[in-house]
Amino acid sequence: MTNTMIEASNLTKTFDDVHALRDVSLSVGKGQVAGLLGHNGAGKTTLVNILSTMLPPTSGTATVAGFDVVSQGHEVRRRIGLTGQFASVDEQLSGTDNLVLIARLLGASKPAAKRRAGELLDVFDLAEAAGRSAKTYSGGMRRRLDLAASLVGQPDVIFLDEPTTGLDPVSRLGLWEVIEQLVGEGTTVLLTTQYLDEADRLADSITVLAEGEVVASGTAAELKADVGQRAVHLTLTQPTHRPEATRALRAAGLQPAHGGAAGAITTPVGVSTDLAVVVRALDEAAIEVAEIALTEPTLDDVYLALAKGTPTAA
Amino acid sequence: MTTTLMSPETERTTTEPRDWRGSGTATQLLVLTGRSLRALINEPRLVVLSLLQPLIMLVLFSQVFSSIAQTDSFPPGVSYINYLMPAILVTTGIGAAMQSGIGLVTDMKNGMLGRFRSLPIKSWSVLLARSLADLVRTSVQLTILLVTAVVLFGFSPSGGIGGVLTALALALMVSWALSWVFLAIGSWLRNAESMQQVGFLAMFPLMFASSAYVPLDGLPVWLRAVATVNPLTYAVDASRNLALAMPVGTGVLSAVAASAALLAVGAFAAVRGFRKPL
Repeated sequence: MTNTMIEASNLTKTFDDVHALRDVSLSVGKGQVAGLLGHNGAGKTTLVNILSTMLPPTSGTATVAGFDVVSQGHEVRRRIGLTGQFASVDEQLSGTDNLVLIARLLGASKPAAKRRAGELLDVFDLAEAAGRSAKTYSGGMRRRLDLAASLVGQPDVIFLDEPTTGLDPVSRLGLWEVIEQLVGEGTTVLLTTQYLDEADRLADSITVLAEGEVVASGTAAELKADVGQRAVHLTLTQPTHRPEATRALRAAGLQPAHGGAAGAITTPVGVSTDLAVVVRALDEAAIEVAEIALTEPTLDDVYLALAKGTPTAA
Repeated sequence: MTTTLMSPETERTTTEPRDWRGSGTATQLLVLTGRSLRALINEPRLVVLSLLQPLIMLVLFSQVFSSIAQTDSFPPGVSYINYLMPAILVTTGIGAAMQSGIGLVTDMKNGMLGRFRSLPIKSWSVLLARSLADLVRTSVQLTILLVTAVVLFGFSPSGGIGGVLTALALALMVSWALSWVFLAIGSWLRNAESMQQVGFLAMFPLMFASSAYVPLDGLPVWLRAVATVNPLTYAVDASRNLALAMPVGTGVLSAVAASAALLAVGAFAAVRGFRKPL
């Protein structure tokens, strides 16, 4: 049994003459969370749809749980859960009935289906609304019910297409916890998002898509290191000491630059160098520092650096 | 790969969600049909609303046109309600068939079809279940209409209960066959508004340019020509002849044959359209 749960090779998808995906490759190991980051129209949903057998690729191949998404679609569908961008719930049915429906279709007996529905409604904090028809649910509740529906059969691989879009902060946090719990149980997750903090928090590896192409991939740390904006920000007690401080830092092999405020200095530091070098250089020059801070690059920097030039979401 | 189409349910039914990897076709049909019917039970208002149109027609036509029964072209000895009711069964059944297509499009809109497509179930079982649920709904509708007609309007055709039941069965058959045509239109158009427009544009002239409300002989020549090639005329005539215990000739046979043809074409196109990516 292979440990790679999602494997895409050179996937291309063309709609008429629009290239939705160009030569996209991706590999996700068992129990990993892969984050797919990109603007609206970057091709995230198209990729999810191909991997979940909803859409055939124009060229390229992909396997999910070891099965080909084109020729073995049925086998793939037996092992995946999909939560699309828009909540798919039957508004006429109650929360319980929605989940029982999915469980029964997956082959559960009636009592087992009811039990599972109860479990999931508890997990997703919907137990109180279990008997109410879903059309009375709020947007967040629908989203949670939708997610619960995709987890009914404890799938090996879960595709979440912008699962927290439109959720309030509390629901968002709750959903993150559920995803983390799932991964803890060995589920593989492919998550698309426009939110960098979400990818940063959840994803083991991140693939950045822009205009249908992979423009970067790696762990959050790797991506940040590539963009490399780790820097030390200093504020001197005596602003007049700035020239001296700059000289001392240069002597220590750094490239300091004057910050905006009086007595402010910013100096980029490499991943290997340390805050200590800066502190020592200034200490030896007997310069007093009022404030010192190290800033790490955020995924926002990565995102902005990579996805530059692509139209921003409306 | 030894997955069989009709795997026995017991084989798949375990209590561990991880082992739920698909159900048999019979279960799929049962569960999906039940789901559509459940929505109806939860919202009986819709059934009542869908009965309004045929009821209004029944009231209006039976009152407005009853004098037609005195004209020469009308079959002698037949009251207008007895003439009208078998036609109302057929036209109501056709209107109900359109609802199948609308229901399918609604499921596309609310994402349920997307959900079903991501499950290990057969795509045609989704369509078949929808048409079966609508068949049940239509049966209930037509039965309510029949009872109303008997109780309130004195519908008592000479064919007796047997004749009425066979007329009902024929109307249901036509309705079921046509529901596949509307499922096909729905799975290609994927838009409830255009569905309704297409349905209305097609059905309204078909209903009036037929023998449904007045005998063909009473129609202007050109309209009579249209009515003679209108398939609805044949369905209505067959239903009426059964209810009124008049000689059916080949009417019933041709209605069955036409329904079978519509069913085949509709089912083929519906499954094809349904498989197109959403």
